[in-house]
Amino acid sequence: MPEAGWGAVHVVVMLLMPLLLAAGLVWAERRLLALWQDRYGPNRVGPFGLLQVLADAVKLLFKEDWIPPRADGATFVAAPAIIVTCVLAGFAVIPLAPGFVVIDLNVGLLFLLATSSLAVYSVALAGWSSGSKYSLLGGLRAAAQMLGYEVFMGISLMGVVMMAGSFNISRIVEAQQGLWYVGPQFVGFLVFFVAGLAETRRLPFDLPEADSELVAGYHTEYSGMKFGLFFIGEYMGITLMSSLITLLYFGGWLGPWLPPVLWFFIKTFIFIGLFILIRASLPRVRYDQLMGLGWKIMLPLGLVNLMVTAAVLLAKG
Amino acid sequence: MADVPMEYGLILAAILFLLGLTGVLVRRNIIFILASIEIMLSAAGLAFVVAGAHWGMADGQVMVIFILAVAAAEVSVGLALALRFRRLFGTLDIDAADRLRDR
Amino acid sequence: MNVAFYIAGGVAVVSTFMVITRAHAIHALLYLVVSFLSLALVFYVLGAPFVAALQVIIYAGAIMVLFLFAVMLLNLGREARAQEREWLRLRAWIGPSILAAVLLAELVYLAAGGGAGAAGLPAPASIIVGPKEVGASLFGTYLLGVELASILLLAGLVGAHRLTREEE
Repeated sequence: MPEAGWGAVHVVVMLLMPLLLAAGLVWAERRLLALWQDRYGPNRVGPFGLLQVLADAVKLLFKEDWIPPRADGATFVAAPAIIVTCVLAGFAVIPLAPGFVVIDLNVGLLFLLATSSLAVYSVALAGWSSGSKYSLLGGLRAAAQMLGYEVFMGISLMGVVMMAGSFNISRIVEAQQGLWYVGPQFVGFLVFFVAGLAETRRLPFDLPEADSELVAGYHTEYSGMKFGLFFIGEYMGITLMSSLITLLYFGGWLGPWLPPVLWFFIKTFIFIGLFILIRASLPRVRYDQLMGLGWKIMLPLGLVNLMVTAAVLLAKG
Repeated sequence: MADVPMEYGLILAAILFLLGLTGVLVRRNIIFILASIEIMLSAAGLAFVVAGAHWGMADGQVMVIFILAVAAAEVSVGLALALRFRRLFGTLDIDAADRLRDR
Repeated sequence: MNVAFYIAGGVAVVSTFMVITRAHAIHALLYLVVSFLSLALVFYVLGAPFVAALQVIIYAGAIMVLFLFAVMLLNLGREARAQEREWLRLRAWIGPSILAAVLLAELVYLAAGGGAGAAGLPAPASIIVGPKEVGASLFGTYLLGVELASILLLAGLVGAHRLTREEE
């Protein structure tokens, strides 16, 4: 019985944590962006603008729930649900502390790659089902971007897997007891970080949803809570990527004095802040530059990282 | 893992394979024919995994990896052909390509 | 755990049936994605977690996206769907269904141990064959196949590029 009880606690925490963190991110991103762009962020609704999230949620819920006339109804409604489902499913294999994970899959890392592969469908279907050419173009561009960068994400992760000897995320964290993997796998970390930015469609890779291009790309026709779901899905994706970077390259919950959970959250928040800082400072990359960067620079870097890691591991016997 | 008898796995693979075969025989649109071929390839992969799981060897999974690679190559060329077909004949009806020489 | 196999198998059969009977191309392909996802679950239940993940990543996550891209670019509209429904009348299904049913009866008979020499199969191994064993087998025994597969993919890449080039 205590086993099942603990399991239920894990599930509830891993369902609520991303949602609450994403909601908090709505506020945190706007305040941090404002801080780094030398202006005030939302500061009227509640102390320090903390209730802005609530105001945004109420606004989105009160909007008219509308489906464009030429749209494919079922797919149009399903697309935002797909991205939220995939990201939440990815959280099932994220350990917050030793033993605190919903399911300790032996192929945990592959499961995460699988859920991020399925997330491509949300943008492609959103773009197509809107029944408008701007949406379709934005959707196809976003899908091609995500598909391409997924390849390098996988290849850079293989370096970590080779060093830890397992796809199990808890075991990868424990294998970093002596030295965090960001040291030996620095190139892999860079490739993974860039791929993570592209997968979550954040600046500088957010051309598919940029307001000055293609109207708003694949979520042009979305309004109300469906748009809210895309929004929340993006923030949850950022949280997932930051947790992955902490777990795979920065030792996860390992650290002196403080309880492991606290270390995990501190490191994850640092990387979420880094995502927001990059959005505040870098300009947007053009689509052909984006794809060129991916296939001509990131892929060779990832492959070289893989080969060198394998060579060193073989040489060390 | 599961204690499912090998027969049930093979019967599932057979059902899926024959559904794909029916799809290839009945449909006239190239896209649907390609999709039915994918169903058949996937069912063959299932048969391999069932066999590999039965003997506890990795060979079944290795064959599935090869099937994935073959399916990927075949789909890309097949879809490229479908796009050319549409450009040439103006339709995706496979019965439109019924002569060896231009009309 | 056996229940998972039967449920996933049932979903696979139903969604595959929907694939071959839909007139709307995108809907049929989405049913095909569901079919592949349930097959991945079947793989996992049978103790093959590595190819379960690969099935989702490669088949459902890349090949089917390619399919969807092509169909979205083909822009099949209302007339195409009416055309499909015209072609899919019941008369077209009779012949292939009978042939398929005959083949199915044959395969079920053989699988259930009707043929010679099939009676002495031992019980299933019921172990999980993880990524390590698959990797050792893939790059050990089947190394040549890996090289051939990469050449095949290169051929597919070049072919697809050449076929879709505009005539100058």
